[in-house]
Amino acid sequence: MMARKILQSIFIASIGLPLAFLLLLSFGRRWPYPEIFPKELSLAAWGFLDNSNMISTFFLSLGISFSVALFVTLSAFFISKHIAYSKKRNTFMVLAYIPYLLSPVVMAVIFQYYFILVQLTGTTLGVIIAQFLIAFPFGVIIYLNFWNENLKSIEELSKTLGGNAFQTFVKVLYPLSKNAILLCFFQVFLISWFEYGLTNLIGSGKIKTLTVQVFNFVNEANIFYASFACCLLVIPPMLLMYLNKRFIFFAEKSE
Amino acid sequence: MPTPKLKNVSRFLFVAIVTVPVVSGMVYAALYSLGIIGILNTEISSKAWQTVFFGKPFWSAIGFSLYISVVSMAISLAVALLISIKWQKNLRDGLLGTAIYFPLCFPGTVMAFFSFQMLSKSGFVSRLGFNMGWIEDLRVFPSWIHDAYGIGIIFTSVLLITPFFIILFSNLFKTENIASFQHLAKTFGASNRQILWKVTLPILLKRASVTIYLFTIFIMGSYEVPLLLGRQDPQMISVAIIQKIQRFNLNDIPQGYAMSILYVLLILSVVILLFFRNKNFFKTSAV
Repeated sequence: MMARKILQSIFIASIGLPLAFLLLLSFGRRWPYPEIFPKELSLAAWGFLDNSNMISTFFLSLGISFSVALFVTLSAFFISKHIAYSKKRNTFMVLAYIPYLLSPVVMAVIFQYYFILVQLTGTTLGVIIAQFLIAFPFGVIIYLNFWNENLKSIEELSKTLGGNAFQTFVKVLYPLSKNAILLCFFQVFLISWFEYGLTNLIGSGKIKTLTVQVFNFVNEANIFYASFACCLLVIPPMLLMYLNKRFIFFAEKSE
Repeated sequence: MPTPKLKNVSRFLFVAIVTVPVVSGMVYAALYSLGIIGILNTEISSKAWQTVFFGKPFWSAIGFSLYISVVSMAISLAVALLISIKWQKNLRDGLLGTAIYFPLCFPGTVMAFFSFQMLSKSGFVSRLGFNMGWIEDLRVFPSWIHDAYGIGIIFTSVLLITPFFIILFSNLFKTENIASFQHLAKTFGASNRQILWKVTLPILLKRASVTIYLFTIFIMGSYEVPLLLGRQDPQMISVAIIQKIQRFNLNDIPQGYAMSILYVLLILSVVILLFFRNKNFFKTSAV
């Protein structure tokens, strides 16, 4: 019993280790070998927050992820319903899994040409559209679990009782689907927030999201600023986790 | 009931959004790889395809990616099963039950950067080893990053997916009522060992099988982690494709496109195989 307690404490501590370590490095300035901890601590990286560059990077990432999540959540909600109630549901499902299973960066590399054609590369809109194409099938997959026979009957009941489509949506469907909508929104937000390869390719390195900046700092061998950008990357997901840990977890289940 | 028109428009939109990018991308890649379009391409040629199909780089990248994903998955599953079975009660509530969600906040990029700072020759572990007197010089510290066996990549992948599977198994324990099956088996006189191998493990693995297959494919295609932690040879497939297409050598581009088509076809055939083996494979329901 005692051993289990100790083991669990060690395990929990190790879960916190990456964040603690990155936070420490983000305050570091000089870290010569073989010092275990940075020799000098400074607020230089965090002072970077004053610097408009990092602020705009953060809000650019936030804006992109928010837009992608919003578009996917809305479009997938209405479209997934007709997929879920289709007789060919399973075939549609296989289709949905294909873009989702191909690595986003490989998808980006093959459809990049069309983005160049319509001059969307290197633009924020281009990145949002490209991320939408990757995340939309995933959004549909999340919703498919939610549309079921029970819900269908409730919806039909509302219509039988004289509710029009709008009333049925606002008074019946929306309250019942709130959790599914939030789950979809936050899952897609995270996909977009975590994305690097496709964003860098379609954005031609010009759309500097946080993940792109981490790679830039690593290439400049500036580990302290890279750690700082890493810390900024994990903050929003942690806020989500604080709101509700269920929002950051989604899994398929076999029948 | 929705009007038939709305229904058809929705289904059409779905199929369009899902297939047009893949199909149009494949067409472009095919034309480029055959020399029909492209800056340096002057005539139709199957040279790029021959190089890719009969050469070593593509197949070694596929092999290396498969090796990384299978090994990472095996380690993650072993650890996740051990923890979720042994600590079942603690995972349901309390600090551990919340803490286990914490790693899901880490994107591959951040975890890869963390691994790099921990495991590289001048990383944290090496510094610790030096100060403890285990190593005399950072040069004798083993290569775990940019190494031939992909140790850094596997380490990072395990960090990324193990927490996910711990949560998944812990949820399945509840939804599949495993505790009562265990109890039943015990009543019938099964030993603890038998309960583990004949009851608990089969239910958990069967119920998680779709996720396990999907994650194996995801890890195969991972990009950020091997980009930061991998080396030139062997390479993982995504990194190899992007490098061929983005490299300065324009002659390599057709090969990059041929590789991407082959990879897409490979994943497609795996998906179709899984689907035809079990038509309900992709029929998901919430955990």
